[in-house]
Amino acid sequence: MIALVALVVLLPLTGALAVAVRCRARGAGSALIAGAIGSFAASIALAAAATGHPHLQGIGGFLYVDPLAVFFAITVCLVVVLAAFGSAAYLRVEEDRGELSSFQVRLYFVFFSVFASGMLGSLFAGNLGLLWVLIEASTLASAALVGLEAKARSLEAAWKYVIISSLGVTIALLATLWLFYAGSALHLTSNERLTWSYLFAHAHALQPGSLRLAFLLAVVGYGTKVGLAPMHTWLPDAHSEAPSPASAMLSAALLNTGMYAVIRFQAIAKAGLGNAYPDHVLLVFGFLTLFVGVIFMVRRGNFKRLFAYSSIEHMGIVAIALGFGGILGLYGALLQVLNHAIGKAVLFLSTGDFVLGYRTRESSEVRGALGALPLAGGVLVLASLAVAGCPPFGIFLSELTIVRAGFARSAPVLTGLLLLLLVVGFIALVGTTLAMATGDGPEPLHPYPRRSGRLLAALPLVSGLGILALLGVWIPGGLNEIIVHAVRAIS
Amino acid sequence: MQSLSSSSIEGTLLSLSAVVILLAAFACLGSKLFNRYVAYYGLQSIVLSFAAAVVAYHYDNAQLWALAILTLAVKGLAIPIAARRLLLRRLELKRDVAMSTGLSTSLIIGALLTAFAYLAIRAQDLPHGVVASSVVPLSTAVVLLGALIMVVRRHTVAQLIGWLITENGVFLGAITLVATFPFIVEAGIFLDLVAAVLIMVVFVSGITRRLAEATSSELMELRG
Repeated sequence: MIALVALVVLLPLTGALAVAVRCRARGAGSALIAGAIGSFAASIALAAAATGHPHLQGIGGFLYVDPLAVFFAITVCLVVVLAAFGSAAYLRVEEDRGELSSFQVRLYFVFFSVFASGMLGSLFAGNLGLLWVLIEASTLASAALVGLEAKARSLEAAWKYVIISSLGVTIALLATLWLFYAGSALHLTSNERLTWSYLFAHAHALQPGSLRLAFLLAVVGYGTKVGLAPMHTWLPDAHSEAPSPASAMLSAALLNTGMYAVIRFQAIAKAGLGNAYPDHVLLVFGFLTLFVGVIFMVRRGNFKRLFAYSSIEHMGIVAIALGFGGILGLYGALLQVLNHAIGKAVLFLSTGDFVLGYRTRESSEVRGALGALPLAGGVLVLASLAVAGCPPFGIFLSELTIVRAGFARSAPVLTGLLLLLLVVGFIALVGTTLAMATGDGPEPLHPYPRRSGRLLAALPLVSGLGILALLGVWIPGGLNEIIVHAVRAIS
Repeated sequence: MQSLSSSSIEGTLLSLSAVVILLAAFACLGSKLFNRYVAYYGLQSIVLSFAAAVVAYHYDNAQLWALAILTLAVKGLAIPIAARRLLLRRLELKRDVAMSTGLSTSLIIGALLTAFAYLAIRAQDLPHGVVASSVVPLSTAVVLLGALIMVVRRHTVAQLIGWLITENGVFLGAITLVATFPFIVEAGIFLDLVAAVLIMVVFVSGITRRLAEATSSELMELRG
């Protein structure tokens, strides 16, 4: 089991290794794809091996595998696979066109690998101090990706990203310190007082005042990485300025890793303080986030920023689902995390084609994409419908589950507000992408001159969309079981 | 392990250090010159490393000794020197004019935040008669003051200093509240790495000038 975890976490580093042996974009891209697929396969194997065990602990509590961790690992691994294909295609074009130097390309693959591996590692960290260290490390790696193009705008975005998320992470450290202090009365060693499973088991014995403070600080601190409003301001800049495959990683993997940390803290807080306080905190942050995300989606010109605000919207929905609580709410939240990750990865990868083809990020300058770039245009329309919550895609199902959780909690006003905001978000998102897909516009360059590049770019788009459609009509038994067990592990 | 009582010599030294650290944060908030920011930050870090050494001496804890030395070397010496050489001199920064509120207003807000820190932390049942009960509200105030500096100053270098002050506040709280926190050294190293990256970003990009003198059209680029 430990070997499998090591495989999941370390295999994405193949991209960095390939760079170390002086590969160029092509070689490093292929190595990264191979590593990512291997890591994904290992995560599936881990899921199979973990069924039957409620959880597994190793290396003095530093390693902790439970269904929640496995579920998030599968989600992140899947995103890494999709983004690895996208990176291989996108970076080769940028290198051929001379927009990025080969040094920048190498840097990209090194930091992409470290970023992926840091995030996956943090999911299996049983110790909250280690979790903090790994999330911090992945922040540093991703900042380099945001600032990679080294233009004035991307550096400004990178600065905003680093400074705001550093402050967030510092606050998360404060949260970890208070949680550690809350357990001072427990007869545990210092390392055990930071180990999630012990804290969860002894949550009722934690000092309530300090625990409340720790939870609030964790929601603010890790919530900065999730993009919860009002700590979301770095998110649209970073997503719009990063290279498209890196945007996909930020939106679909990094935000979820932050959410994972919030869920861990929420589980302890719920066990120690009862449901009311943690639920209310998450509902307040969730609705604020959803509101901000939706309002800023209306009439947004830059399409990458539009999708970034849509990510904020979805993180708000997940926080609301966590706040609704209950089996249904948590199930819906986890399903939403998976579906949104796939949908948003596809959407951001498809923007790569438009950025390469039209050399713009303004939606008003992209018209008639369906005719000019049939594959990317079609995927854009379908994926935006999927992300906006249109059946038969998976997000429809998870949002329906969350709405049901809201009614089950007998909160009809809040649920009605949620539905209303979802509708506004739907119109804003699909309206823009439909306008991009239809009409007459300038003829784009062909984004991928080589056949192999075209194939590499098309594969994640089509397969991601396929998985999303599949999840809308059928949730495989194994996946369902993991989610159900994950819900049980935190409640 | 005996906890640090407020009447012992170590406790008194720690309380005094905390007061100096808070004053340095206020001095930074009330200043307008870049080299003063750096000087106050350096002073604050040296006092923090002294406080860490006091706690390390009391508990005889190797990790805390490491933290004290790390703080002195990196935050007390390396970061101020690097900031002076790389940022202030190269970019010819003297007077900070990019503020969103006046100095007196920000000092008043700072005082309110300090009062808030006492209100918020008093409610926590900190153990009585232990030095933590007097130092932790102060450290929380330092965290909030650092964040305030980041909010009211628009210049990247000033924001950087604000974040560094916040970080000092967190570590002051950490050494008094939970001296046995297992990850304290790792956390220190990682945050120092972040600081290094921040300094690098500012240096490499030279975005200091751009943000400080940003014209409205530039600010419009990444809006919404």
